[in-house]
Amino acid sequence: MKHDIQLIINGDTRTLAVESEQTLLEVLREDLGLTGVKHGCSTGECGACSVLLNGEVVNSCMVLAVEADQADILTVEGLATDEALHPLQKSFIDHHGVQCGYCASGMLISAKALLNRTSRPHEDEIREALVGNLCRCGAYADIIKSIQVASRARR
Amino acid sequence: MQQVLIRKPHVIGKPFPLIEAQKKLTGMTCYAGDLETLPGMLHARVLFSTRPRARFQLKNLEDARQIPGVVALITGKDHQARMGYTIKDRELLAVEQVAYAGQPLAIVAAETLAIADAALARIEVHYTDLPAVLDIAQALAPDSPAVHPHYQQYPGNDALNARPEQNIAHALTFTRGDTEQAFAQADVILERTYTAAPLQHAPMETHGGMAQAQPDGSITMWMHIQAPFLQRRIIAEALGMRPEQIRIITGCVGGSFGGKIFVSIEALLAAIALHTNGRSVRLLLTREEEFGSVFMAPAMQARIKMAATQTGRLLGIQATYDWNIGASVDASLFHLQAVTLAGTGPYAFPNAEIHTNAIYTNLLPAAPLRGLGIAQIHWAIEQHIAELAEMLHQNPLTMRQWNLIKGGDQLFPNFTMHANGLETCGLQVLNAIKWKPTRPQQSETPAPPALKSDKKVGRGMALSWSPIILSDQCGSSITLRLDKDNLCDIVIDGVDIGQGLYAFATQLVSFEINIPVEWITVQPTDTAKHPAYWQASYHNLMWSTGHALLKATAQMKQEILRFVGALWNEPITGLDIVDGEVISYASRRKLPLMTLLTEGSGDGTPPPVFEIKAMYRPPNIDGAIDSLLQSFATTAYAAEVEVDETTGGVTILQLAAAVDVGHALNPESVKAQIKGGMIQSVSYTLLEEMVFEDGIPQAVNFCDYPIATTADMPRQLHPIVVEVPQRSGPYGARDLSNHVQAGAAPAIANAIYRAVGVRIRDLPITAQRIYDALQAKKKET
Repeated sequence: MKHDIQLIINGDTRTLAVESEQTLLEVLREDLGLTGVKHGCSTGECGACSVLLNGEVVNSCMVLAVEADQADILTVEGLATDEALHPLQKSFIDHHGVQCGYCASGMLISAKALLNRTSRPHEDEIREALVGNLCRCGAYADIIKSIQVASRARR
Repeated sequence: MQQVLIRKPHVIGKPFPLIEAQKKLTGMTCYAGDLETLPGMLHARVLFSTRPRARFQLKNLEDARQIPGVVALITGKDHQARMGYTIKDRELLAVEQVAYAGQPLAIVAAETLAIADAALARIEVHYTDLPAVLDIAQALAPDSPAVHPHYQQYPGNDALNARPEQNIAHALTFTRGDTEQAFAQADVILERTYTAAPLQHAPMETHGGMAQAQPDGSITMWMHIQAPFLQRRIIAEALGMRPEQIRIITGCVGGSFGGKIFVSIEALLAAIALHTNGRSVRLLLTREEEFGSVFMAPAMQARIKMAATQTGRLLGIQATYDWNIGASVDASLFHLQAVTLAGTGPYAFPNAEIHTNAIYTNLLPAAPLRGLGIAQIHWAIEQHIAELAEMLHQNPLTMRQWNLIKGGDQLFPNFTMHANGLETCGLQVLNAIKWKPTRPQQSETPAPPALKSDKKVGRGMALSWSPIILSDQCGSSITLRLDKDNLCDIVIDGVDIGQGLYAFATQLVSFEINIPVEWITVQPTDTAKHPAYWQASYHNLMWSTGHALLKATAQMKQEILRFVGALWNEPITGLDIVDGEVISYASRRKLPLMTLLTEGSGDGTPPPVFEIKAMYRPPNIDGAIDSLLQSFATTAYAAEVEVDETTGGVTILQLAAAVDVGHALNPESVKAQIKGGMIQSVSYTLLEEMVFEDGIPQAVNFCDYPIATTADMPRQLHPIVVEVPQRSGPYGARDLSNHVQAGAAPAIANAIYRAVGVRIRDLPITAQRIYDALQAKKKET
């Protein structure tokens, strides 16, 4: 059964007809073409599909699209403006916070949520904020450094 | 009179960002699942066996085919084919009998994923179970069934040193001197068995891709894999086609670690594309399928016996490394060569006898994991050396130093060891964690006290070496093109899987032709656009592509200078390219290359196009495995751990790794690779085990197969770059990323021993194993 829902995606309001069983991840990737949001496990274990839903990090594979009706959603595609990269993106480039890159969009989203809460996070807080985002390349140390540098640059 | 121009500080050896980093960080990179779909694309799903060894029958196939929206459904009976790189020990789809749980039985293509799933659900599989062979001991038992009873009928059955009736898929041996005599003369002999669990590559991106049959009978495949030329050959052979009839276009790979080199589901995708009337088909594996039906990394069992004198001189080693490689061997061949060549560890044993056996079982086929088994063999050797040092009351550092291989040592008939930084690596890691090892009876700088009394701190080290093998297939081919449209295009046959290959190629071409990096684009591999070659794929990638690029750039520069020389009527010896400008030292004329490429030479002819194809082929070899050796990478690890005696839990306080990379061409990238390898090593050491129950994969998600998260990171990481140039390498560099893997596990195990006095000889080192060992030790005392 189709349901009409409205989402605010990266600042744009979109109205969509979605099936009851469609996940937010499926809708973002397949209906909206936001393929920067990655599919890694479908079970909320890897964090590759992380998005901000009303400011909170969620695994979009674990959220039904209908549950997200009226929500404000930020994906990796919404971080940069037309003019400039987000400071986190810039810092990840400068400090090798990306290797194969598959986890990167989820990492950036978790980092963004953290910096929204805490402007100058301690290393332990960063580690805790990223614990749900797996990176098989093991780039954690450079990811943490990228976030630290970005948080300092913001001030 | 020649003017001396100082070239501006070059890009080699300077920080250089990863190519594609910006695209990756803005969500614009195209991984396999992000491929733009072609009109009418179908969705494929695969039916996998759920039994390790059984005869089987598929029922209701016609019903499944009749479901509206099912376009094609094929089984092993429809498409009988064997495949493999050497011995064809795998079936495209099982025909009558399954050899492992996770083996493909059927593949369906349908209008939607839901319809494809419905079709698979309609099929009933009737199994008649047969006794399965699941571990090394079982496989080698005299009355054990053969995993491949019909081995002698397989194409390629004489390619390997196999004894299929005993389940030995391949056996390699290396001997030096006389070990029996060494054992007779020894003051001490230590013999132990070590094991390492089967693992998963676990890339964040699962396997997947798209295929489409073309009107001319060829197949185009969009596969984000590490070795397109290798796969092309195997797929073509399996389908009875010529390699040129398979075109593989690669793209960004979301992690491979060895799991996306050899063919797994790719041949199936090609096969189904032949049955869909030219409609494209996409197959993306679920996480459960990725873990349970692609590859595992092999499990190891090692028996090590060493002989030494009372003064700590190593006299001899006998080592047998048995690998559970599952039901197919060919992905494991490099792994087996590497562990045989490195089988003594980095020590100059005058007498050595190394046996490496690949053993068939009814488990998932094994594929080499980052490090090619080098991590596992050093897990054994470096604990063994530490225990021997303890027995002999020797300092674990100095005993290693006395016995270390050195530059100039004739290690194998065809190979003399080159200058290397292994000893420096060892000293630097110790320095990093501020540890000066001493003889056991002497007091050393005490480890910092643990916070709670039931926690103990200990420190350990390990050295390792890792052969860089260049078999005759490990060449590389490059197409370099300068033209108006793309300025400078590099088509490269290696694939950037996040290790920075494209950045390296860009640096090299910019430096060698002396043009700005902004002009350069590295194009992903497309087998239709390449001179055919097996190709560089993993541990020798920088080496092979580097040499091919050096050739290509030298020719390209000559080509450009010849063109301009003819234009100016000047000999090319007086011409050069500096910062993107062709200059003449004699006439002082200048011509920006950009002007030449975009506007032409001004005489009304169209702008020139320069294209060079170059290939690097490894030196001819005579077939002896030691002649495959290009060099050894050397690595040292030191660890400081805290062990909770109540729970057996381990916290890694500090981990230091030093790798001799020859020359760090992109220093920050090198450090990033070292840090990544350290984290992955910690993950293998403490967390990971591919669990099977009766041959059926159980750990098929990230809960049951945990990999390291930020919570598992050592408190402090010390990545160290050591540079002793490899004279034969591009700019003196040596390949890196595989070789970081060796040494973390034994360093951590040695540290645990020094903290709480128990030796764990089975990987992974779980809290349960430490707890059990502590309980057993308590009972003894």
